[in-house]
Amino acid sequence: MSNTGKNASQNFTQTELLVHALVIELEAVQSYKDLAEQMEQCGNTEVAALFDKMSKLEAEHAEKIREAAGDVELTELPPWEYRWPGLEPPENIDLAGVHYLMTPHQALELALENELSAMAFFDAIAHDSTDDQVGSLAQEFGDDERQHVAWMKEWLAKYPPPDDDWDYDPDPPAAID
Amino acid sequence: MVRRMSVAAPCKLKASDYKSGTKPVWCPGCGDFHVLASLTKAIAALALVPENLAVVSGIGCSSRIPAYLNCYGFHGVHGRALPLATGLKVARPDLTVICAGGDGDGFSIGGNHLLHACRRNVDITYVVMDNEIYGMTKGQPSPTTAPDWDSELAPGGTGVSPFHPLVIALASGANFVARTFAGDVKGTTRTLAEAIGHPGFSFVQILSPCVTFRPDQREWKNKVHPPPVTFTTDPAQAARRVMTDDGFNIGVLYKGSRDIYGQAVERNAEFERDLDAEFLV
Repeated sequence: MSNTGKNASQNFTQTELLVHALVIELEAVQSYKDLAEQMEQCGNTEVAALFDKMSKLEAEHAEKIREAAGDVELTELPPWEYRWPGLEPPENIDLAGVHYLMTPHQALELALENELSAMAFFDAIAHDSTDDQVGSLAQEFGDDERQHVAWMKEWLAKYPPPDDDWDYDPDPPAAID
Repeated sequence: MVRRMSVAAPCKLKASDYKSGTKPVWCPGCGDFHVLASLTKAIAALALVPENLAVVSGIGCSSRIPAYLNCYGFHGVHGRALPLATGLKVARPDLTVICAGGDGDGFSIGGNHLLHACRRNVDITYVVMDNEIYGMTKGQPSPTTAPDWDSELAPGGTGVSPFHPLVIALASGANFVARTFAGDVKGTTRTLAEAIGHPGFSFVQILSPCVTFRPDQREWKNKVHPPPVTFTTDPAQAARRVMTDDGFNIGVLYKGSRDIYGQAVERNAEFERDLDAEFLV
């Protein structure tokens, strides 16, 4: 589909890397915000609060990238010109993985998956780039994501895994049952 | 041909600026969230001015989309989104008109309108979020449901052959035909931007999973794939391709160059004025 294919991580300029890094965070801010609102609509307030917290965390990260950019003008690209390894920016939650009755543990598992994807994205650039400055900046961004991964794992340990019947709804949306 | 689209170069709104303050009531996991994201990104990429953009819909889960957008919107009557959109575009050719809805609204209740909208080739973009089910009314089979899809409401399946919307659109004269997958936001955004920019009637079928009544559609993300060949300008070739594919090829299938409605026939301003006067109350 929209994948860029092999060796895409070699060719980032510093500005492109900064733009990609910023957009990853901005998209994640929006994605978590949307999910928080969706969960709020369904009355799953605990998970809504968690997604809201994630959105704020990503917003802080976006600010950090803006600071790192300094005077470099970060102009967003048309959406189809970003070189993501998958269909969407690495920190966007796959909507197909969410459920209105999902537990905080499941939400954090998804968040952890995203942080790992983002880490892998930056690590690949750090590894493949032929430009030392780009490699070093990618390494820095990868380390930030590593920190987020550590936090996710800490938070995950605080929430028990879901019961087998976590998706049982005594009043399911399917009126055909 | 002249493209009639309201694009203003200085408009630098972000995708989020095109979202209204109304929060979607779709089920978490619904593909329509992705479509909303793709549509706002496409509109932002095209720098369309909100006051020159109208989104018209019918009835159904996906037809709620105008409420979630920050532009003019019309949440119309079931199956009648296309006549409304057609009328709006003909009356106000300066507007960019997008018509949106689901497979039930567009292919069943409004099925006949689809044929004639394709024929007329008015410069609008029709986006159908196809989940192969009537989601809002709790999961009845729709015109695109597989004949053997078993459910409480259709035990053993309907046994009825599904509708091929892309083939119908091609046969009826649509000027741009594409299929995308909601979860591919980048690809869908690009296709929508192309469809909106293409003159005439553009038809985009978006495979948009209904995770509540068709949880099996969560697997669509593993089934979709790019087409083996690029788009064609030959509708017959496009129709053959889509009739023989697995239903999961995504991308632009056909780009035509028919004259758009309103340009092929010279308008008689005096006659229109007289006609308008007759109906003045």
